[in-house]
Formats: sequence, structure tokens, C-alpha cells
Amino acid sequence: MAWGGGGAWQMGPLGGNQQAGPATGLPFAGIPPEYADAVDALLEDEEEIAVPDLPFEHVETDRQPFTLRSFLLPHWHAFAWAGCLIGLDALALNIGPWLLQLGIDEGVWKKDFASLQWIVLAYFAAIVAHLVIARRRILFTGQLGQRLMNDLRIKLFTHLQRLSLDFYSRERAGRIMTRMTSDIPALEQLIQEGVVNLAMQAATLLVVTGFLITMDLHLTLVVLLGVVPAMCLMTLWFRRESTQRYAAVRERIADLLADLQESLAGVRIVTMHRREKYNVRRHRAVVNDYREANLSAARVAAVYGPGSDLVGSFGQIVVLVVGGWMVLDGTLSVGKVSAFVLYINTFFAPIQQLVQLHSVYQQGQAAAKKLRDVFDRQPSVVEATNALPLPPIEGEIAFDHVSFGYDADRVVLQDLCFRVRPGETFALVGETGAGKSTVAKLLTRFYDPQQGQVSVDGYNLRDVRLDSLRRQLGIVPQEPFLFAGSIRDNLAFARPHASNEEVLAACQALGILEVIEGLPQGIETPCHERGVTLSSGERQLLALVRAFLAQPRALILDEATSNLDLKTESMVEHALDTLLEGRTAILIAHRLSTAMRADRIGVLHAGQLVEVGSHDALLARGGRYAGLFQTWLRHSDSETEA
Amino acid sequence: MAAAAERVYGASDPKYRNASAPPPRAWIDPDPERGWLRRLMPVLAAHRALILASLAAGLGVAATGAVTPRLIMSAIDVALDKQASAIGFYAWLLGGIALARFLLSMGFRYGMQKASQELEYDLRTSIYAHLASLSFGFYDRAQTGQLVSRANADIRAVQMFLMFAPLMSITLVSFVASLGIMLTINPLLTLVALIPIPGVYWVGLQMRGKLFPMSWLIQARMADVATIVEENVTGVRIVKSFAAEKQQLGLLGRASERLRWITLKQVKIRAFFAPVMENLPRVGRALLLLYGGWLAIEGQLTIGALVAMNMYMIGLQAPFRMIGFLLVMSQRAAASAQRIYAIFDERSDIQERNDAVDLPLEQGRVCFEAVSFGYGDGPNILEGLSLTVEPGETVAVVGRTGSGKSTLARLLPRFYDVRAGRVCIDGVDVRDATLESLRTRIGLVLDEPFLFSESVHDNIAYARPDATREQIIETAALADAHRFIDELPEGYDTVVGERGYTLSGGQRQRIAIARTLLADPKLLILDDATSSVDVRVEQQIHQALARLLEGRTTIVIAHRLSTIALAQRVVLLDAGRIVADGRHEDLLRTVPAYAEVLTRAEESLS
Repeated sequence: MAWGGGGAWQMGPLGGNQQAGPATGLPFAGIPPEYADAVDALLEDEEEIAVPDLPFEHVETDRQPFTLRSFLLPHWHAFAWAGCLIGLDALALNIGPWLLQLGIDEGVWKKDFASLQWIVLAYFAAIVAHLVIARRRILFTGQLGQRLMNDLRIKLFTHLQRLSLDFYSRERAGRIMTRMTSDIPALEQLIQEGVVNLAMQAATLLVVTGFLITMDLHLTLVVLLGVVPAMCLMTLWFRRESTQRYAAVRERIADLLADLQESLAGVRIVTMHRREKYNVRRHRAVVNDYREANLSAARVAAVYGPGSDLVGSFGQIVVLVVGGWMVLDGTLSVGKVSAFVLYINTFFAPIQQLVQLHSVYQQGQAAAKKLRDVFDRQPSVVEATNALPLPPIEGEIAFDHVSFGYDADRVVLQDLCFRVRPGETFALVGETGAGKSTVAKLLTRFYDPQQGQVSVDGYNLRDVRLDSLRRQLGIVPQEPFLFAGSIRDNLAFARPHASNEEVLAACQALGILEVIEGLPQGIETPCHERGVTLSSGERQLLALVRAFLAQPRALILDEATSNLDLKTESMVEHALDTLLEGRTAILIAHRLSTAMRADRIGVLHAGQLVEVGSHDALLARGGRYAGLFQTWLRHSDSETEA
Repeated sequence: MAAAAERVYGASDPKYRNASAPPPRAWIDPDPERGWLRRLMPVLAAHRALILASLAAGLGVAATGAVTPRLIMSAIDVALDKQASAIGFYAWLLGGIALARFLLSMGFRYGMQKASQELEYDLRTSIYAHLASLSFGFYDRAQTGQLVSRANADIRAVQMFLMFAPLMSITLVSFVASLGIMLTINPLLTLVALIPIPGVYWVGLQMRGKLFPMSWLIQARMADVATIVEENVTGVRIVKSFAAEKQQLGLLGRASERLRWITLKQVKIRAFFAPVMENLPRVGRALLLLYGGWLAIEGQLTIGALVAMNMYMIGLQAPFRMIGFLLVMSQRAAASAQRIYAIFDERSDIQERNDAVDLPLEQGRVCFEAVSFGYGDGPNILEGLSLTVEPGETVAVVGRTGSGKSTLARLLPRFYDVRAGRVCIDGVDVRDATLESLRTRIGLVLDEPFLFSESVHDNIAYARPDATREQIIETAALADAHRFIDELPEGYDTVVGERGYTLSGGQRQRIAIARTLLADPKLLILDDATSSVDVRVEQQIHQALARLLEGRTTIVIAHRLSTIALAQRVVLLDAGRIVADGRHEDLLRTVPAYAEVLTRAEESLS
């Protein structure tokens, strides 16, 4: 966000709100007590806004590149009407010097006080007209801007929701956030202050030029030819010099925010390793670069602004000299020279502002470009246009010759084949990095295999609708993520309308009712960011309940019990027995005690399934599983025998 | 986009490794009772030379601006007097003044920009340093997204204001000077023309009163939108797993709608007041034309003076419009400043005593004496817990989920302070030791390994940024991480973390272990550090650890028998107390509760 230089010098309120601030939940934030009453009064007027039912499809229907033009063009009729209001506004606002000219020439010069009174009356009429028109204009453009921004926020969020996991694992969270928290506000500013102000200034230019021409064509030409080219040259110079500098400012601020964001997210590690001082020094260097970039932009702006003033002053002098000679010749009235001198002020201000708006425009353009980059990103997992909803499944899962790698040159799964029968519990074991979690990601279609196919009940996953697939699969990931909000909201994530009884019953079923009831506000206890106040074991339990409540047809537990202690784990696994009854389940585990309970166990090694069978069968076979088991057993044995 | 993904961002750029930039020149006034500008004074004072020089240039700008209309008045009047040569004189004079104004204005603008940038630099660097000093108690409550937004947007709002305020002040000086000249032209006419001007100020006050609470609410709602986005980005797997995209979209839609509602309310206020503010000075100009025109007809005023008065009135319009703008900005800046100060006013719960001593830690005896502890205002997690770990001993802490095991680990490096009792190392209360010496000697590996978006090398070298590659490789090998790191696309230079190469949970844990081992702590705490690693890898790590643990006091928090095997002694934690303490086999025989916790292991062994 460049905000040094030109744009910052413009007058008129900055209507845009470029900053996100406090929200509820922070002990020291929120609205200060002295404004609490005023804010409450405001809120009283607000009607309860229901959660809108916004359409969401994985397949984008109207794909076209996002540009300022494609964004604004559909609203051309609204802009046209805004243009009319702006034109009238400019007319009513700039009639003053023209009336002064009439006043001087018709009233003062001719010593006719009655005419002067009529002219002043017209002046007052113009003031009243402007009051009415300006009010309409501000309301109309404000509403238009907000409608556009609202649409854009939803459009962006919808698109983000469509993008596949590869996007999220490559892109820093902070940078994705910036699209919403700074690029959209930059666009809002562009519309509110950019487009509207631009139109206002352009209208002013036209109106004033019109008045000038009606008064004296020759002097108008002197002004237009003598001063406007100089102004334009300066503007071009500024444009060329500032573009790169503002781009640098934006890059530096993004770096700065990324550094800040990560330092805070990893603050526990920072503290633990006493990196505070080092990081503070490093952050200084990052901020310093940002400052240098800003100052570089400020240098150009500091020349441009006063330079434009200088050209304007010379314009005034030219009018005085040339106009003065014409008055001496008797070819021009004194009122007209006066009006010219006055109009020059109003005439140059728009040119200056138009260019100062350039930086706002640049920011808007840059923001639009960044948004376009995001909008151009396509989900790597694409729902087929003719995808059908997956009917309620029995739960037969099949991997047929599946090969997959996150990068082209790194194969994680190699020609993987296996089949899980409906209702069967199938465990996947193997060393770290063998590709176990990847299997889960392919099954939920977070990624598509490069070769082969994954199918459920004989349906190739590529042929079915994503939500119908994922609704029927319950996945409990390794790292349970909890949303800010109450425990209840988190548990009922998949079914927001579940009753409290249902939620509590689910907690009971998984044996964590006691834990929940032990919390300060029970089920309504808020989870803070990433549930820091809950232990990882508790979070995993919550994640299990969350999956349980979703009532999936098939379950995938991706190391879901790795953070539980043995006692809790055994509680959960008893509950799981009931949960798994009649459901297909894939257990990904490196704890063999978990895997042993499965109907069949598959051993993954280097992306291939090297052994499949029941615990006993695999042991008897004496292969890799038996090896793993021996290692594990020896380890446990040494324990008891020592 | 591929190119962008490869670009090294911000602080992960190696050029920042040894980069240096000056510390902030000054911090804000620590007294929370003072007004927001007052608290900023020390920072402003640090840059007073620059600020004063710029203001001096600004005064020059104001002066040249004020005399120009007066000179134009003379120019018009001499033209009407048919003094052709005098017109040339005024033209040269005006040209000279315009040139001077150009130079002064350049100095003023750049100077103010520079001053406000310096101020922003001071604020940004000092708030970062302050954030780095805050304790875990603060971060448990705060949301990172909001902190980032505060530290960024709020500082910017203050900077903006401080860049504008001098501009406004200079404009006001120019206003006073103009007023003086107007009075010399015709006092009564000046007063008549200025009649509506106080109204501008009054209307501005009204507007400000209404806009202020709105701007708070707008900011709050923007943060709400940001929070939803952030959670959907970080929790994207959950959202997708449960096909909750549409539901989340609805939530965002509502947050966005609520933001729009209050923004539109603000637009309405502006639509009502702004045109009034704009037209009040024009009423003055109409009155000027009426009365000034009459005076001119009567021969008491020259036409040049009528024009000059008009120019002054146009000039006056700007300051009064700007006052309104300044009001809006100052309320925004005040609000932002208060939020920034709220962070500055946060004090770390963990304060080093003035007479804190360096922890000797020759022995490494750890002692929890009747310790009670709970988070924030919450209930006690630990309840009168006592535990002694002898030097060089390895103790496993076992207990059900929520029994307080991890909490125990977090008290030792003093991430939190106990509510009652004390935690001692070699007989020194941790509260009496310097944090530096305490934490240098304790290595804690957490169950959730967080890696930074930096290279593997830098992540392992986190505690010792100057470590050599050889040392890094050696340590990585100890944590059984060398083999897989070697196979990464760029080996130790592969950028990992949130925005880098994706590692598995086990791989991340091994890097986290290496990170801790590199610091060579005398006292080691492994908080379930090997939970995401499979048995074979765990065994390898354990073999390495077994060597490392020799001579080090170690506390392992464990769920698995294999991990417990590392320890000579096991303590069983239940409801914040130690309920059993002894050798694993003994406990297994004599303590039913212990046996119960380990039931599953029993089953698998039989």
C-alpha cells in the first residue's frame, strides 16, 4: 500500500477504510468505554442480519479475467447516473467566478446595484442547488461503492473456497489475507476517491473550460496552450518516476507484514529459543527497507506537488500580463480578467488532483492485479461440469494403479492398488514419509492422482460432486484445527443446526463429556485462536466428535489419536468401535496398537503397498510388517522386562 | 505464480541474516494516564530538528501564499489605471515569489514525509520489540491476525495524521496571515464575508461526534471479516473435509453485510454534513459580492481588492474544509493510537527481577515445591504439585489428557509463573534467575512443531543463528533428520514452513528436536515430542537421545511405553497432582491407576 507521496496530499476526506482494527475477544481491545453508549445506540438501529444463502459451486460458471474494466463495466449505467450527478455538482460548484464577472462588469462597472442584487440572488440559488445535488451524489456513489465491495468480498471468498489444497500449502496465509484486508480496501478507495473524484475533477475541468471560452476565446487558448502542456509533461515525468517506487513500497510492506505475522504465529518458539533480540534486529532491517522505499517515493512526490503549483502560478502571471494588456487595449473587460485569475485556481487544482489521484489509481490497479492473480488461479482439483452427486455410499474404496507426487519430480505414491470392502476397517502403516497421509488426501480428493484412479463404490472420484463426496467421508486430521468461536460451534461444524443435546450425546459417545463439562462455560466455552488453551489431546478429541457429528458413511482417521495418552485413546477406541460399526474406515497409524485392531492392515513402503492382510496373517508371513511389529514389541518388551 | 512462490520473502531473505538498522530513537511515554499525543511526545522530540526545519520551511510556504492575492490586487488596479510598465514589475515580483514558494514547499513536504516515516519506523520497531517481550499469557488471549492488523494499520493511521497535522497547521498560519491582510483592505467587508465561517467549525464538530463511534464499529467489522478469512485459510483442510465451503461463505456474507450496513451509515452522515461544510464559505463569497460590489459602486473599494478578497475567501475555504478532514483523521489516529498503546501497556506477566542472578545450573536438580497453577483466571490445573528430579535423571511424566503434563513443562522455563509454591533449579527459584540464563539452559520440544518459512538450516539454527553447516548436519543426524533433509530438493537450503516445502508431521518434529538439541541445553523437556513419528524412527531418535540424555536432567512427557523406556523414573499425574512416583515396573504392580492408564499397552503385550 503506497500512501506516501501524491495521494496523501489530496484534500477531501479519505472515505475508504484502509484498516482492520479490533474485534471482540481481545481483553484489552474493543470499543473504549466513552464510546460504548454511542456504539450501542448505533447497534440498536441495526436489524439482525441473517446468514445469507449464497450460492456456492465448485465449478466457476462465468470465467473471465478479473480487471478493473471487467469489474466496473457491468455497472456502467450506475456510473453514468453518478456521472450526471457529478456534472451538475461541478456546474453548481464552479459558477461563482462567472457570477463575479457578471457582478463586476454589469453591476460595479455600470454602477447598477439592482443588477448586482439579481446576480447575488442567483449565487444563492446555485448554493442551494449544490447542497441538494451534492447530497444525492455522495449517497449514490457511496452506496454504489459499498455494493461493489460487498460483491467483491463474496466473489473473492468464493474463489478462495474453490481453490485446492496445493494453493494453500504454497501461499503464505498472511499474503492470502492481504487480498481481503488491503487489496479490496485499496479498490474501495480507488472507487470512492479515485473514480468518483476523477469524474468530479474532469467535470470541473470541462465546466471551467466552458466558462472560460464563453468569456474570451483568445485568453482561453493562451491558458490552454501555455500551461496545460507543461502540466502534462510534469505529470508524465511523475508517472514514470513513481510507478516503480510505489511498487517497491508495496512489496516491502508485504514483506514486513509477513515477517510480523510469522513472528507472532511462532512466538512460542521464538521465546523458547531466545530469539527475541535477533528477531528484533532483523525486523528493524525489514522496516528500514520499507522506510527507504517510502522515502524514495516521497522524493518524487515532493518535487511534483510544488512543481505543479509553480506551473499554476506562472499561468496566473500569464493571464495577468496578457489580460492586463487586453484591458489596456479595451478588448477585455476587467471582470473577465478577474474571473480568469480566479478560475485558474479552480482550473489547475483538478489537473494536480487528477495526477495525485494517479497514486490511488496505481494502488487500485496493483490491487486489481493481485486480485486477478488470485482469480486466475484455478483449482487443481476440478469438479467435472457434468459431475453427479454421489449417492449414499456403501463404502467400497478402491485405489487403482494410483501414482502421485506433490511435485513432478518427487513421486510419493507409485502405482498403488488396494481395495477396502464396505464396512471394513483398514489400517495403513508404514514409516514416516511413506505416503500414508497422502492416501487420505487423495481419497478426500484434496489432490488428484497423476495416474490411475481413486473410486468409491465404483464411482471415479473425478466424476462426482465434491461436496457429495466429502459429506460422506469423515476425516479426522493429524493436526486438529479449531475455529475461534465456542466449543459447540466447533463440534457442530459440519452440522451447524444440530441441537445441543445431539452435540452432548456425541461427546458422551466418545467419552469426553466430562472434559467438556469441566470447562468454565461448558460447551459454550470459546476456543481461542487455534485452541491454544486446550491441550493437543483435548483438541484431537474435539476433532473426533466433530467428525462423529457429521455422520459420515466412511471415516478416515489420519493419526487422529497420536496425541492422546493411552488411557484416553483406549476410551476413544471403544467409542470408535461403535462408530465404525457398519462404516468403512481407513486408519492411518504409526502406532501399531491402533493398527492391530483393523480387519486388514496394509503396509506402505516407498509409495507402494507391499503387504496386505490381517495382523495375524502378516505376522505369520514374516515380512516388513512382522519387522515393524518386532521392533515395536521389542521396545515395549524391554520396558516390562527391564 | 511459480516464480512468486520461489521468491524469498521478507525476513527469510538471507540478506537480513546479518543486516543491521538503527534501534528506534525513542519509545512512547509509558504513562497510560496521558493523552495520546502527549504519550507520543518522546518520539516526536527525538526528531525535533527535522520537524522544526520542515515547519520553518512551511511557514515560508504560508507567507508566500498569503501575499500573492494582495499583489494580484495591486496588479489589477494598476492595469485599470493604465500603468502598462507596472504590470511587468508585478509579473516579475509574482514570478520570484512563486519560485521561492516552490523551493520552500519542496523542503517542507519532503521534510514532513521523512519525519513521519522516521516516526513510523520508531513505532514499528519498538512495538515489535515490545511484542517480543510479552509472555505466553498475552498470546493465549490475543489473536495473531488482530495483532498484525493493529501493529500495521494503526501505526499507519497515526503516521498519516502526523504527516497531515503540520500541513494543517501551516494552512492555519496562512489563514491568520490572510485574515490580517484582508482586514487591512477593508475590516467591515472582511467580517461580513467571514460570518458563515464559524458555522463550518460547528458543523465539523457535529459530524465528528457522529462519525467517531462509527469508525470504531467499521474497524471492528473489518476485523471480523479478516478473522473469517484467516481461519478459512489456516483451517482450509477442515472446511474442505466437511464440505463447509457454502456454510463459511454464508458467514462471510453476513460479516460483509454487517460491514456494509455501518459503512453506509457513515456515508449518510457524510452526505448530510459535507455539502453544508462546503457551501458555508460560498455563502460568505456571495455576501462579499453583494456588500463588496456595493462598496465598489460607491467608490470605497477597488475592483482589484474585490478580486483579492475573493481569492482570499477561496483560500480560506481550504483550511476550513481541511479542519473537517483533520477532525476525521485525528479521531482515526486517536483511536489507532489508543489501540497501539493498549499493546504497549500490556506488561509481561513474567518480569525479571532487578536482582536476578544467572542460573549456575551445575547440577541440574529440578524441584517443584507445592506448585499450584492455572491459566488466566481459569481453575487450577496443577494443585499443590511437588516433584524433584535429581541431576542427570530422566523422568517420564504420564497422565491422562488434561492432567496437566504439558503445563508442568511450561512452568520450568518460566513461560508462566506459578500461583502458589515455587519451581526451583538447583535451589534457585526460577523467578530469581535471569530469563536468558534460565531459558538458555532449558530445551523444550513441543508436541506441535512450528517451523518458520525459512530454510531448514535456518530453522535448525534458530537458537544459534551463527552455527556452521557442519554443526547443523551433525545435530540433524542426531535427531535422525539428516537423511530426509539431504533428499529435499535443495537439501538444507530448502525453504520449509507455512509458505515453503511441505514436510510431514514426523519430519517437522525431527527438525524441531534438532533445533532444540543444537542449543545444547543442560535440561531437556520433551513434550510428547515424538508423537507424530512412527515407531522405527522414534527408536532411532531415542537411541540418539539416550546418548544425549546422559548427564542431562530430562523430563519426558509421554503417552507411549517406548518413550517411557527412556526414563529411569515415572511419575503419574492426575488432576494436577502427582499420585504415583517410582520405577515403571513397580508402579505397574502397585498402582492400579497407573496400570489403568497403560492398559492398552498391557493388552498389546499379552
